[in-house]
Amino acid sequence: MSDEVDISVMIGGPQGGGIESSGQMLVRTFMIKGYDVFGIREYHSNIMGAHSYYNVRFKKNRPKSVKLPVDSLIALDAETIFTHYNEVSPKSFVVYDIDILNTPMERISPMEPEVKERVGDELKKLGVEPVASEVIKYLSNNGIKTVGLPLKNLLKTTAEKLKTNVVSVAKTVNTMSITASAALLGIDVETIEKSINYYFYGKKSVIDSNVMAAKVAYDYVKENFGIGNPIEDGPNKNKSRMVATGNDIVAMGKLAGGLTLETYYPITPSQDEAFYLGEHRYFRLDEWASKELGVEKLGVLVFQAEDELGALNMAIGGALAGARTATTTSGPGLSLMNEAISFSVMAEVPVVITVWMRAGPSTGEATRQGQQDLLHSVFAGHGDTPKIVIASGDHIEAYYDAMRSLNWAEKYQTPVIHLVDKYIASSMMSFDKEDVDPQLVPIDRGKYDTETKNEDYKRYELTEDYISPRSPLGKRLMWVSSLTHNEYGMVTEDPITREKMLLKLSKKIENAGKEIPLSEKVSLYGDQDAKITLVSWGSAKGPILDAMDLLRKDGIKTKFLHIRMMSPFPSDYVSNVLNSSELVIDVEANALSQLALLVRMHTGYDIKKKIIKLTGRTIMEHEAYNALKTVIQNNQDLVVIRDGA
Amino acid sequence: MVRNWSDYKTDSWVQWCPACGNFGILLAVQKALAELDLPPEKTSIVSGIGCSSRIPYYVKTSNIHTLHGRPIPVAEGIKLANPEQTVIVASGDGDLLGIGAGHFVALGRRNMQLTILLHDNAVYGLTKGQAAPTLPLWLKTKALDAPNIQSQINPLLLAFASGYTFIARSYAYHVDQLKDLIKLAINHKGTALIDILEPCPTYNDIMSKEWYEKRIYYLNSADPSWDPNISSQEDFDMKAPKILDKMTEWGEKIPLGIFYRNLSIEPLDTRIEKILPGYLQYPPAKRPIDIKSKPIVHPFTEFKDRIVQT
Repeated sequence: MSDEVDISVMIGGPQGGGIESSGQMLVRTFMIKGYDVFGIREYHSNIMGAHSYYNVRFKKNRPKSVKLPVDSLIALDAETIFTHYNEVSPKSFVVYDIDILNTPMERISPMEPEVKERVGDELKKLGVEPVASEVIKYLSNNGIKTVGLPLKNLLKTTAEKLKTNVVSVAKTVNTMSITASAALLGIDVETIEKSINYYFYGKKSVIDSNVMAAKVAYDYVKENFGIGNPIEDGPNKNKSRMVATGNDIVAMGKLAGGLTLETYYPITPSQDEAFYLGEHRYFRLDEWASKELGVEKLGVLVFQAEDELGALNMAIGGALAGARTATTTSGPGLSLMNEAISFSVMAEVPVVITVWMRAGPSTGEATRQGQQDLLHSVFAGHGDTPKIVIASGDHIEAYYDAMRSLNWAEKYQTPVIHLVDKYIASSMMSFDKEDVDPQLVPIDRGKYDTETKNEDYKRYELTEDYISPRSPLGKRLMWVSSLTHNEYGMVTEDPITREKMLLKLSKKIENAGKEIPLSEKVSLYGDQDAKITLVSWGSAKGPILDAMDLLRKDGIKTKFLHIRMMSPFPSDYVSNVLNSSELVIDVEANALSQLALLVRMHTGYDIKKKIIKLTGRTIMEHEAYNALKTVIQNNQDLVVIRDGA
Repeated sequence: MVRNWSDYKTDSWVQWCPACGNFGILLAVQKALAELDLPPEKTSIVSGIGCSSRIPYYVKTSNIHTLHGRPIPVAEGIKLANPEQTVIVASGDGDLLGIGAGHFVALGRRNMQLTILLHDNAVYGLTKGQAAPTLPLWLKTKALDAPNIQSQINPLLLAFASGYTFIARSYAYHVDQLKDLIKLAINHKGTALIDILEPCPTYNDIMSKEWYEKRIYYLNSADPSWDPNISSQEDFDMKAPKILDKMTEWGEKIPLGIFYRNLSIEPLDTRIEKILPGYLQYPPAKRPIDIKSKPIVHPFTEFKDRIVQT
């Protein structure tokens, strides 16, 4: 294998059956081999039993999305075979447990009736009986290498070698399965062992049993099926790298950005960010900083509120006291926070609200993807509520945007909504130390009052830049008000004061639009002279960039306008790019094409061509590519994409 | 410097109706602050929405007028970020027990050092006299088109069940007694509730000054052996029945005073210190986050669990 190493591995099984750890170990395995990795988990809102899977992809150059078909499917149960049999490439191999062979589809209780019906119809057309063994036979007949593992026996062997019983090693079945897949891909067992060591860091007995299981599985595959040609090392060998989910990396960005108080109410898919930050609440400082400050560790307080109303209002209180505060939530939580967003606009309280979008409306699908809260965020809050809304497109952007949001909040004394989504939350990406350099975003706490005497301090002083020097409670006498107020923060219904104060709120955000560099608001990728412009936002960035590479190979040149700053909106720039394009295509994961609406509101430009995805599943490279091609070649106005189980 | 109660007065016109109970509460607050000699900038009164919630504008301390129902979480946020700030929540019965009841309950689990002044007049004043959660069943105050068909919440019992560690009731026109209670509440190492009965001369024509003054009496005057202080679980087991008995007394007789003061429950700040060493020294509002604008932690320094050596 050479330059074109681009391998996708999928592992599926019941929730609670080790899918998460399998994905994590696979990612680490490929990283240790020197490759860049992108992996995403799809799962039900369920703790045990429902179908869940990871799609992990590795390349020499960082993959930004996943794709179908995959090169290897690992089935920890029969449902995975029925759900994904048509997502494997003709040269792929499928690893499964021989005990699932006799399972008929109808006996799989967690499998949803709609899925059974659809799969049943497909299999009928193919003339395949809906029994696992028949589907595997069908795959085999189509040239796919099917690799059945006698997991029960392998567990017995593992237990014997460890001088223990089968029950205590039962959880290693997923390690055996991914080892088999890795072996067939040409990855040595030592690399898998290292991966196990990293993933189960410090848990010796778990490591021992998983390493033994990996060896047993590796030997079995070697003896019975033969291992793949050794895969060459990727370009990233001998480095100290990191792999993190979007949830993780936003926690890292917040910590680096000086967050000292995070409040939250548990909601998927935001909770893992708060959890992870909580795990690292008592954190180690960089050595130079530690020397300078004379402390090795400092703290960030992560506090669970009684609801999202409490969460944001607590963050507001913390900010007034002088802490750098944030809260994290998802769409339903954002609904509850609307009132306090309006309060923080009116009272000019710096606070960051990280919104991990998921599939709505209403409770929708808690663990599924959606980009449906764009307009909700921009217009969140009653009354005129100018604020900053920034949407990140990938992990690295999410990291820096988390840091910048904390700065913007304090500099402009405003709520900042940081939009991320389930796709980013539960996908993993490999990166290097220099990819997350906090020194690129110096801490900016904005204008602070240092001189005024208590009696003279005006919390809402009218200034030329509309920003009043701030002070924490405790240092100045002040009034903070959700009512219309004068410069001192005292309630007033004087019409002229009201007008001045409302203009203050909107002008400072307008100024933010002028001061924040374009590079932090919008990106233009691809061939700058291309006549076709793709427009999108958030995590649709990854599959679009990957699809553009494929289009380029077809001779189709495109450029891609990825809009990040949703408020204040970069109207002039967007307008210029769109008006100089011949064909504009909007791509997003919502039914209304919300970004296209926002673009039209700000620029008057009406984007006619749209690609949307509403299934709650990740947009993938191949479908973005196919859909873009359809629009470009067939001049189709709307393409609805729907791949992925 | 010893401060006088008038040092805590602002120049604002006080917008309450003549004879409003809030005047008594305002004066009691100012007197309590003066007697405790609290620095104005280090003291915060946090209110919700309604007549009583205008109080922040009338007291010269660093105050916050929040949203309807949300003064408690805002106050909690201040206290989490800076435990040294003295924080008092002053809000109405509708605010704290209606729209904000969830926060009222959750606060009890935390036992933060906060003082909750419940301005309890049983009606929504600023929206012209609707029934509040403390208005008894079947009462028909003058603005209601029919007698109240919802029964009343007992704020003392709710606070007790939620875990408040200082529970008292007072009467707005007894300024000095109320002032003394506020001082005790502020100094209490935990969450304190003072349910302050107050007439609303404009909208509550039933629970008037005369109505209250016929009924109220002080627990410690009626029973010199009255002891609301709890120092241990055994103490609690012994005294709880009598405390509950007094908390539920309502009607011909309405007791005032301290019902319950538990000093054996750990407050939140030292609980946090146990899971986050250094919290009290460097609370969120005071801990360094940069050195000359330079961030002080790189992810590779702290998040070692995500590092992979390739």
